[in-house]
Amino acid sequence: MGQGMGAWRRRRVLAGIVGAGASLASPAILRAAPSGKPVRVGGTLSLTGFLAQTASIHKIAAEIMVEEINARDGFLGRPAEYVLLDDQSKPDVARSLYEKLITVDKVDLIMGPYATAPILAAMGVAQRYGKLIIQSSMGIPKLQTYAMAFPATPFGPEPDKTYPNVILDAMASLPAPPRSIVVLTSKFPSAQFMAQGMRAQAEKRGVKVPLYLEYESGNRDFGAIAARVKEADADFLWVGSLGLESNQILEALRKLDYKPKNSFHLYPAPGPLALSPDGNLVWSSTFLEPDEPFMSRPGMKKIAELYKERATKANLPYPIIDAQAAGMIASWQILEQGVNGAKSLEDKQIAAWLKKSVVTTVYGPTRFDGLYNHGAPAQLIRQVQDKTWKVVWPREFAAPGVKLLSA
Amino acid sequence: MSPARDLPKAVAALGVVALAFVPAAGMPAFYESFFYLVFFWVSLSTSWALLSGFAGYFSLGHAAFFGVGMYTTAALTTKFEVPFLATIPLGAGLAALLAASIGAVVFRLRRLRGELFALLTLAVTFVIATIILNTPIDGGAGVFMSAVPLPALTSTPTGTIYILGFIMCVITLATAWWVAHARLGMGLFAIHDDEDVAEVKGVPTFRYKIVAFALSGGIAGAVGSIHAMYVGFLTVAGTFELSVPLFVVLMSVLGGARHWFGPAIGATVITALLYAFISGGEAIMGRAIVGLVLIVAILWLPDGVVPALQKWRRRHRAAPAQAVRRAEVVPVMPSAPPAIGQRDILEVRGVTRRFGGLQALAGVDLGVREGEIFGLVGPNGSGKTTLINVISGFYPLTSGTITVDGAEIGHAPAHEIARRGVARTYQIPRPFANMTVLDNVMLCATFGGPVRSRAEIRDESVHWIGFTGLAGKEEAMPAELNLHERKFLELARALAARPKLLLLDEVLSGLNPAEVDNAIRLVRAIRAQGSTIVFVEHLMRAVVELSDRVAVLNEGKLFALGAPREVMRDPRVVGIYLGKAYAA
Amino acid sequence: MPSATLLGQAMISGVLAGGMYGLLALGLSLSWGLLRLVNLSHFALAFLAAYLTYELGTTYHVPPWWAAALVVPAMFAIGMVQHWLFDRFKVNELASLLITFSFAIILEVAIQLYWTADYRRFETHYSTLSIKAGPFFIPVLELVLCMVAGVLAWGTWLWLRRTYVGKALRAAAEDADIAAAYGVDHRKLAYLLSGMGAAYAGIAGCFIALIATLAPAQIWAWLGVVFAVVIIGRLGNPLGALLAGMLIGASESLAMAVFSPAWAPVVSFSVLIAILLWDPEWL
Repeated sequence: MGQGMGAWRRRRVLAGIVGAGASLASPAILRAAPSGKPVRVGGTLSLTGFLAQTASIHKIAAEIMVEEINARDGFLGRPAEYVLLDDQSKPDVARSLYEKLITVDKVDLIMGPYATAPILAAMGVAQRYGKLIIQSSMGIPKLQTYAMAFPATPFGPEPDKTYPNVILDAMASLPAPPRSIVVLTSKFPSAQFMAQGMRAQAEKRGVKVPLYLEYESGNRDFGAIAARVKEADADFLWVGSLGLESNQILEALRKLDYKPKNSFHLYPAPGPLALSPDGNLVWSSTFLEPDEPFMSRPGMKKIAELYKERATKANLPYPIIDAQAAGMIASWQILEQGVNGAKSLEDKQIAAWLKKSVVTTVYGPTRFDGLYNHGAPAQLIRQVQDKTWKVVWPREFAAPGVKLLSA
Repeated sequence: MSPARDLPKAVAALGVVALAFVPAAGMPAFYESFFYLVFFWVSLSTSWALLSGFAGYFSLGHAAFFGVGMYTTAALTTKFEVPFLATIPLGAGLAALLAASIGAVVFRLRRLRGELFALLTLAVTFVIATIILNTPIDGGAGVFMSAVPLPALTSTPTGTIYILGFIMCVITLATAWWVAHARLGMGLFAIHDDEDVAEVKGVPTFRYKIVAFALSGGIAGAVGSIHAMYVGFLTVAGTFELSVPLFVVLMSVLGGARHWFGPAIGATVITALLYAFISGGEAIMGRAIVGLVLIVAILWLPDGVVPALQKWRRRHRAAPAQAVRRAEVVPVMPSAPPAIGQRDILEVRGVTRRFGGLQALAGVDLGVREGEIFGLVGPNGSGKTTLINVISGFYPLTSGTITVDGAEIGHAPAHEIARRGVARTYQIPRPFANMTVLDNVMLCATFGGPVRSRAEIRDESVHWIGFTGLAGKEEAMPAELNLHERKFLELARALAARPKLLLLDEVLSGLNPAEVDNAIRLVRAIRAQGSTIVFVEHLMRAVVELSDRVAVLNEGKLFALGAPREVMRDPRVVGIYLGKAYAA
Repeated sequence: MPSATLLGQAMISGVLAGGMYGLLALGLSLSWGLLRLVNLSHFALAFLAAYLTYELGTTYHVPPWWAAALVVPAMFAIGMVQHWLFDRFKVNELASLLITFSFAIILEVAIQLYWTADYRRFETHYSTLSIKAGPFFIPVLELVLCMVAGVLAWGTWLWLRRTYVGKALRAAAEDADIAAAYGVDHRKLAYLLSGMGAAYAGIAGCFIALIATLAPAQIWAWLGVVFAVVIIGRLGNPLGALLAGMLIGASESLAMAVFSPAWAPVVSFSVLIAILLWDPEWL
C-alpha cells in the first residue's frame, strides 16, 4: 500500500537481469526469465471512494499474480506490467480511464475493474475498441453482453436460478429442514437480483416466504426491519447484504433478543462478519476459501502465503485470502493462459482460444462456452466456524472433517 | 469598441470553434471523454448558479433535475424505444417542469428562503430518488443502456457524446451570459441582495425566480439525458449521490457564483485536479493534495477566481478614460409657485392592516392631490411607516382600497405597484450591496420606469445621480458611501423610476442641519419635476417648511388634516404628542 | 397492519437512531447558526474521533470513556485551530463550504492511509446490552447516547439562553458590530464555539466507534440526513437539532415498519416538506 508502481518495476527488471545472468552462467537452468519490452496490461480499481475497501484486496492480488507470471514465462516471454489507475469508485471516471489506457497509453491488454457499474462502463469501452476484458465481480451475468468479455468467477450464466437451489439443498440437509424463509435484501442491483431468485426458487420448492423486504443500500437504522423479521419468526433468514449490512442486521436482531435459527448472507465483508459475536454459524456465498480442496490447486499455497504476508503488511484487518482476492487471481491466470495458449497478444485470437479451451484457475477447470461466456456455476456456501470461514456445501468442496453445522 | 473588449471575445470565439472541431482532429478518445466531463461539470455548475449564485437561493437539489433527465432518457430509450436525441428535450422539459412546480409552491412563501430552501430542495431529491428506486423506472435493478443506439453525429461514439456535451455547454454558457446581461439577470442579482426591496422597485421577483429555476433545472435535465448514454449503466445510488449537488456548489464557489463564467472556471479547475492524480501509486495521496490545493485557492481568492480577476483588473486599469457622462441637466428650480392639481393622485379609503393581534392601521381615509408635497406625521406607533408599506405593496392591506392615478392597487403585488408609478425610499437605506451606485439606479430605472433602451436608461440614471449630488460616485459600492450619500442614493433610485407618487420615509433622519437644507431643496426640485410627494417625517421644521398639507395619524387612524401651521398648533395634535395634560 | 408491539419497537428504535442524528447535528448547528460557517468537516472530525477511540480501545485496551477523555479535548483543540484559519483569512459562509469540504477530504485520506479503507469494528460487550421494558427492547448503548445527546442539547440551550457568554454569542451572531459595541469579544467567543462544535463531533465519534462499523467512506453517509436535521431544527438551536433528529429517525423507522423499508425516505422527507410548507408554530 502506498508503494509506487516504479518500485516493483525496478525489482522486476533487476530480477530479469539476475535471471538472465543466471541463465547464462548456469546452463542447467532451463527456463529463461521473461525479457524484452513489457506487455502492458491496463486497468482501474476503486482505490479511493466508497468501493475502496475491496480495491486494496484486488491490488495486492494483482501484484502477486504479475510477479508470479513474470517468475514463469511472462506473456510470450515478455514481462507483464500492470498499469493501474484509480477510478475513484465512479463509473464515468472508469470509462474515461479505460479510454485513456487504450487510446493514449496504448496498453496491449486490459484487465477489468471491480463492481458491476465500473465493469459495465469498462466493458463498453472494451467493446468499442475490440479489446478482450476479463472481470471477476459482476454478479448479474446477463448484463455481460459483450462477446469478448470473460468472467473469472464461476457464477454460471443464471446464478439467480442455480445458486438458490444450492442453498435450498443445503437447507434440506439440515436435521430440521426450514419450511419458511424470510428474504431481506438491499436494493443494490446484484443483491436484489439474487434475492428475487431466492424467493422464486424457494416458493418453487415449497418453502414459504412469509416476509420479503427490500431496503435501500444506504440504510442506517435496521431497528424496524429487525422487529419485522423477529415478528415473522421464520425458520431461516436470507439476507441479500453487501458490506456491513449483515453485521448491522444481526446486531439489531440481537438487541431485540432474537437470534435467527440459521441465516445466509450474500456478499458481506467477510472479516467483520466472521469476527462478530453474532456471526457464529452464519452462512455466506463464496467461491474459494484457503482450505482443501482449494489449497492443493496449482500455485495456491504459495499465493495464499504471499497474500497473507502482503495484506498484513498493508495493515488490512482481515489478511486471509478468500473469494474476493481469488477473483483477481483467476483473472490473471486466465489472461496468462489465454495469451500463452493463443500464442498471441491479439485480443480476438485470445478470445477465440478462450472460448474453445478449458483454463485451470484457482477455481478449478473453467470453461467459457456457455451463455454470456459463462461456464458451469460453482458458487458455494461457507459458514463461520470458530471465527473462520469454512466451505461447507456442496459437500465435495468441504475440507476433510468440515461439515455444515446447524445453529 | 475598444480593442481591450474585442480581444477576449475573439479569443473566446476562436476557442469555441477549435473545441467544436476536436472530434474531427482524430485525437485519442480519452481526450474527448475528458473534455466531455469538463463540459458536463461546466454545464451543471453554471446551471446551478443561475438561481443559486445569481439570486442567492441556495439549492441543494440539483441532483433531482439531473436525475430526472437521466432517468427520462433511460426509461424512454429502453422501455419505449424512443430515439435517444428526442429524449433530451423531453428530459429537459420534465426537469424544468419539476423546477417550476417546486418554485410555484415555494417561492410564494417568504419564510422559505435561505437554508430552508436548501433543505426543501434536498428533501425533494431524496423523495424523487426513492420513488425512482421503488418503481419500475429503475426498481433497484439499474438500467442498462448499452443496447440503445447512439446516433452517429461524428465518426466515433465518444466523439458524438463529446459533441453533445459541447453543444450543451455552449448553450448553457450562452444562456448564463444572456441572463446575466438581461433584465432577468439584473433582477436576480437584486433579489440576491435584498429581495423585498427588489420587489418594491418593480422586479417581478416571483416570476423571475421561477424562470431562473426552470432554466436551471431544464439545463440540468438535458445534461442528465446526455450523461445517461455516457455512463451506460444507471443506478439510483450513483445518480443521486451527494457529489453532484455538492460539487456544483464547490465549483461555483471556487470560480465565483455571481458571475456567468465563474462556475465554468471552477468546474474546469476541479475536474482537471481530479484527473491529476489518477495513477494507482499516487491516487490516495493525490486526493489529499487536491484538497490542499482547493484550500489554498479559496483562502487566497475568498470570493472566487473571477471576482479576484475583476478586482485585479480594476486596480491595474488606468483611471477610466471614458468617464461616465456627467449630468448635463441642471435641476429646474421654477420661480413661480407650483401648480397643485385638483384631482387626487392618491386615494386611501378605509384602509386597515392587522398583524396578528395588532391593529396597525384602523381605517385611514385620506387623499393626496397631484403635485402636492404631503406631510405625514404622528407619534411613534401611529402607523405612518405601515401606511407607506401598504401603499407601496410591501404588505398587503387587510381591508379598504388604495387608488393611484385612478387604478386600484390595494391587492396588487409590489412590483406592479412600482410599475404604476409608486416609488419609496427607506428610512434606513437599503441599497443593493453588491451593485455599484450606477447599477443600483439603473435597476430602478429599468424596472420602475417605462421600457427604454439600455443607453437611455444609463443616461437617465447618470442624470439622477448627478441630480442628487452623487456625481462622480457612479462606480462606487454602497459600502463606500456615508449615510448622507446613501440616503441620496435612495432618492436617486426612487427618482430613476420616474414615479408619479414618491413616498419618502424619514429621509432627513440622521442628517446634520446643512444636509437637511440640501435635502429640502432637493425635495422641492423633485416636485417641480412633476412628482407628487408624501413624506413621513419627525423633524417638524422640515414638515412645516415643505408641506402643502399635513396629515396627523394617531393609533392607526387619521387624526387631523390641514395646512401645516394650523395642524401643528392644534391643541389636540399637541396633546397626542406630549400627553393630554400638557395640551389642556 | 403491523402489530402494536412492532410499531412501538420501531418507534423506540427510530427515536434512538435519531439521537445519533441529533448528536451529530448539534455541533454543526452551533457553528452554522452562531458562526455563520458551514462546517462540512464535522463528519470527518467525528470519524477521526471514532477511529482514535477504536485505536485506543483495540491496540492499547483503553476503555471507551477514558478514550473519550483523551479524544474529545483533542477535537476541541482541532476546532480552535480550524477557527484560527477562518479568522485569519476572514472566510465567508460560502468559502467555508469549500474549505471545510477540502479539509474533510484530507482527513479522509489520512484515515485511509493509516487504517486502510477496510472495515473496522470495535467489538465491546456494550453493544450486546439491552433493557427489556414490557414487550419492548431498549438497547443500552443507543439509550446512553440519547441521554448524553439530551444532556448536551439541553445544557447548551440553557447555556446559550441564560449565561452571559451564551447570550453574547447569540448577540454576536445577529449583529457582530453592535454586540462589539457592548463589549462582546466576538473573536474569543468564536474560538470557544468552534472548539465546542468539534468537541461535540468528538463525542459523537466515540459513540460511532462503539455502535457502527468504521470505514473512511462512511464519513459521507450521514451528510444528507444530518444536514436536513440541522436545518429543520433551526440553526443554532441545540434542542431543535435533537428533536428534529428524533423526529426524522422516528418517522423513518415507523415507515419501515409499515411499508417496504426502501420507501422510508419518501415518508420522512415528505413529512419534512409538509412541515416546511405548513410551518406550525411549535417547530
